Amino acid sequence: MIGLKDMAKKQKEKLILLVFFAILSGTSTIGQNYLFVTIVNRIFLKNDSFFEIIPLLFGLLAVLFARTFFHYLSGRIGIRMASKVKRDLRNSLLHKFSTNPVQTSIQGQSGQKVSVMMDVVDEVDSYFSNYIPQLFQASIIPIMILFVIFTEHVATGVIILITAPFIPIFMMVIGFKTKDKTEEQLDKMSAFSGKFLDTLQGLTTLKLFGQSVEQKEAIRKGSLGFREATMDVLKVAFQNSLALEFISMLSIGLVALEVALRMIVFQDLSFYTGFLMLVLAPEFYTKLRDLGSAFHTGRGSMGAFKRLEYELASSVQPVEWGEGCLNSTTPPTIELCRVEFSYGEDDTFSLKNINVLIRPFEQVAIVGKTGSGKTTLLHVIAGLVPLSKGEVLLNESPRKLYSEKAWFDGISYISQDPYLFSGTIAENIAVGGNTSATREDIMEAAQKAGISRLVESLRNGYDTPIGEAGRGLSGGERQRIAIARAFLKNPSIILFDEPTTGLDLQTERILQSSMKELSKKSTVITVAHRLHTIKNADMILFMDNGEIIASGTHNELLKSNETYRNMVSVQQGGL
Amino acid sequence: MKELITITKIMFVEKRDIIISIFCGFIAGTTAIGLFALSGYLISKSALVPPIYTLMILVASVKMLGIISALSRYGERYFSHRGTFTMLSHLRVSFYERLEPLAPSIFQRYRSGDLLSRIVGDVETLQNFFLRVFYPPIVLMFVFLSTIFFTAFFSIEVTLIILVGFILTTFIFPAIIAFKQRKVERRVRESRGELSTEISEFLFGFRDLKIYQKLEIKESRLRHSADVYLKEQEHESVHNLLSESANTFLSLVVSVTVLAFGAYLVATEQLDGIFLAMLVMVSLTAFENTTSMSVFPSYLEDSRQAATRLNNVVRTEQEYETPKKSKEKLSITKSPYIRVNEVSFAFPDETRDTLSDISFTLPPGSKTAVVGPSGSGKSTLMQLLLQMYPVNQGEIYINNQSLNSLSQESIWKNTNVVLQKNHFFYGTIRQNLMFAKNGLTDEEMKNILEKVKLSHFTLNDQVLEKGENLSGGEKQRLAIARVLLKKAPIWLLDEPTSSIDALTEKYIYNYLFKEAKEDTVVLISHRLTGLESMDQIIVMESGRIVEVGTFDELMEKKGYFYEMKQIEQSVF
Repeated sequence: MIGLKDMAKKQKEKLILLVFFAILSGTSTIGQNYLFVTIVNRIFLKNDSFFEIIPLLFGLLAVLFARTFFHYLSGRIGIRMASKVKRDLRNSLLHKFSTNPVQTSIQGQSGQKVSVMMDVVDEVDSYFSNYIPQLFQASIIPIMILFVIFTEHVATGVIILITAPFIPIFMMVIGFKTKDKTEEQLDKMSAFSGKFLDTLQGLTTLKLFGQSVEQKEAIRKGSLGFREATMDVLKVAFQNSLALEFISMLSIGLVALEVALRMIVFQDLSFYTGFLMLVLAPEFYTKLRDLGSAFHTGRGSMGAFKRLEYELASSVQPVEWGEGCLNSTTPPTIELCRVEFSYGEDDTFSLKNINVLIRPFEQVAIVGKTGSGKTTLLHVIAGLVPLSKGEVLLNESPRKLYSEKAWFDGISYISQDPYLFSGTIAENIAVGGNTSATREDIMEAAQKAGISRLVESLRNGYDTPIGEAGRGLSGGERQRIAIARAFLKNPSIILFDEPTTGLDLQTERILQSSMKELSKKSTVITVAHRLHTIKNADMILFMDNGEIIASGTHNELLKSNETYRNMVSVQQGGL
Repeated sequence: MKELITITKIMFVEKRDIIISIFCGFIAGTTAIGLFALSGYLISKSALVPPIYTLMILVASVKMLGIISALSRYGERYFSHRGTFTMLSHLRVSFYERLEPLAPSIFQRYRSGDLLSRIVGDVETLQNFFLRVFYPPIVLMFVFLSTIFFTAFFSIEVTLIILVGFILTTFIFPAIIAFKQRKVERRVRESRGELSTEISEFLFGFRDLKIYQKLEIKESRLRHSADVYLKEQEHESVHNLLSESANTFLSLVVSVTVLAFGAYLVATEQLDGIFLAMLVMVSLTAFENTTSMSVFPSYLEDSRQAATRLNNVVRTEQEYETPKKSKEKLSITKSPYIRVNEVSFAFPDETRDTLSDISFTLPPGSKTAVVGPSGSGKSTLMQLLLQMYPVNQGEIYINNQSLNSLSQESIWKNTNVVLQKNHFFYGTIRQNLMFAKNGLTDEEMKNILEKVKLSHFTLNDQVLEKGENLSGGEKQRLAIARVLLKKAPIWLLDEPTSSIDALTEKYIYNYLFKEAKEDTVVLISHRLTGLESMDQIIVMESGRIVEVGTFDELMEKKGYFYEMKQIEQSVF
């Protein structure tokens, strides 16, 4: 995996431009000081007339413009670099997530991934837009200034050369140590506002127990206590910058003293050179201190980048697909041969040795305890996750020979928690259709799914916005939308994750009748939580710990399998 | 701006730090200018070969100014940060004070959980208000006033130039930037919101997208939104950079003008040449401070928005609040008689009734279960009983006192409440149990932990934020433990055991009902098991009571409850 530095190096031509602009802006800085000193010198000592220096004044203005302009340009390059890096990062994250995010969404990390793609990527910005341009400016310009100083007046150069190293050394010895501590404290600060959040979230509980007034005092005390602790750390940091200021001041003072002595006592230094030294020396130290603070700017981005590296590091294997077509009118025979699957190397759960044959129009129920791998098996059958071993055959030839489109065109998946996209109800139902469905088709599907009455009772009917920005629907209503999608799509295979909890009577009835209707034209594979579904199934797959431990009809299993019998009788007992 | 005045008032609770930081900032600013002015004068003087002692005095003064400047800079930093933290503490407390009376209805109104984190974030943003918005302009103004005062001794023209430059770089230019800034920022915010929605849909809806073959369309839309967002961000950064550069250049132009005018005055012998370098140095140093003014608008805008949002949260809430009459206190020693009479209820902003025409009675010591599918209004009913919302149609009586005439606090004091989602605080198990009642001993708490089958925890065990490290069942048991310790005569329990296995549930209920033998209990239940011994079962659907009766009565009736029971039995 490459680091931030390498990402910067990849944009070589921009880095070269940055060096170029740093040199130009250094040149204009020096030029500015030259012109400035010249003007004062001419007016003050040479008694030139005002008109003689007018060109110089314009020159100064031009140089100043150049200085800010080059500074601006190098900042722009930084911004452009940041944009490119952020774009690349988002694209690789997107690629990564789109190859296989079913696993991540199963593991319930989708919310976290959103924040990685939004905020964490944005945090990388300041490394490129601030740190890198500043780094180039702050490391190139002081060298140029020092060079000029040496050519003009060696003694000043020597003084600077002796004192300047103290600044980086001092920063290294003490600065970095406290910087870590400061950052630690800043982390604690966010933890503290976390505690404030905690209190606000628990306000209901606090009030129910009559404790809210006590908490006010606790917030105040906590905040003030935290202030003292933070100030202790900040004090050290401020003292450091005070010391740094003293060092540079001392050096500038030495330069000034030497220059003044040479001018007055030895009288071997002109006003011009002396003044130039006196304006260049502070420029040098300011830039040097900028270099120190530049390091600070980049640190936040480093942490963000580590997060991204971690996110991008683990490799995923995509599901393989081919080019073949499927006959869409009759469902294919589905066969799973010695199929194995696990979510990741460090995950102990896996599906083992799954062998199943599902004939067209069969009703299959998958049954088992929570965590036995029922939904995972449904994902494997749906072709949403890559197999670790084994093969899925459609009409006796491997599924990976068929095209992704051909397969998905023929299936519907009704999950326990169907996702509603932000859009209207009509759009959400139409997501199921392969072609552009007419309003009549949509209304018919909604009617079959038993949701038309509810939809029509809304003021905007089918055009009511739902999803993220719109009206919330209950779990039962969402499932009915998903069923409407299935009616519209008319698939040859339906995968159905039955609700684990009892819904309202109406939805229960609709689910039953709709599934019955849908099963006339398709193979239905259900993760079953209803006794009637199980009883009606042509084949039950009884799962335990990632394996199919028995299969057959309800009556067969009741006779042959004791565990199954126990499970059913416990259920009947009403526990 | 009105919002910021409120914030400023809160800030001024502690004046000392503010005054000291302004004072130190002023000293640091003026001495820095003095330092450069003096060194400019020093070098000019040296050119005229003065006696050595003049030089010594000047050098010493330069050193002294430098030391004073650095020290006051240190003081400014120290006190301004200290003031910021103090202010943050005041802000938190003051906001808590205003929010506290509004809970818990505020949490219902804003369904999204991030309202609170936004509040916390906004309070955090306001720390910049003092540090970057409030006091730097004041310091800057004082520094400039004294600079102008100083230069006026040498040249009125130069003073005027500096004054105009100051007004331009500090007021006019930032105002122009601020005007444009709002538009730029709004566009960034909008495109950010769009991208965030796209990403959420992409990740959360992935399975459906994949199966319905909409993934590629979504992906390209996401890419497009990402590019738009990136462009707007870039636009914003460039805008900021440009404003900063332009302001820097503007201030440099002012110094060049000072130089030009000074030079002219010297050339025409209206000004002693020895002061030229000094005046230019003064101008350069003074304007160095104004560069920070180019970022001032964005901090101002941030603070303004944060303050507005905070105020809006509190203000709109207050509009919903019922007029504060002096309310009576509910004082009961044993379980009361509760009567709900023809109550209908709609949430504010919603047209549909969540509850319609609800009537029932809860005799003292009775045990009632409320059942029904999710969304049937069970929890809302409980919230009304707790007066989390005022009943707007119909009436609820406790011992013939109307619920609306009683104070919330006194109702809650007499009620044991377990909510569907219970909050646990960062801290220990002990801290989370302690606030149930004053003066609880460790012994009592340990005993209760055992009763709810949580004896594998010690009182010192850590509880993370929101009880993250506890399982759903453990959290529910801890919540039950809390009310068992409280021992009030009314119990309102909203699905308190939905994540607890049947065996443990039975054990805990046995203990709970033994404890609550004399009390009035309302249990909202998701399961239809274990309701055989309840005095009455209220069956609800879409905001109405469909059936009432004992378990046996309802089963015999073969109505709604019976059918639900049939379904439940067939659910694995």
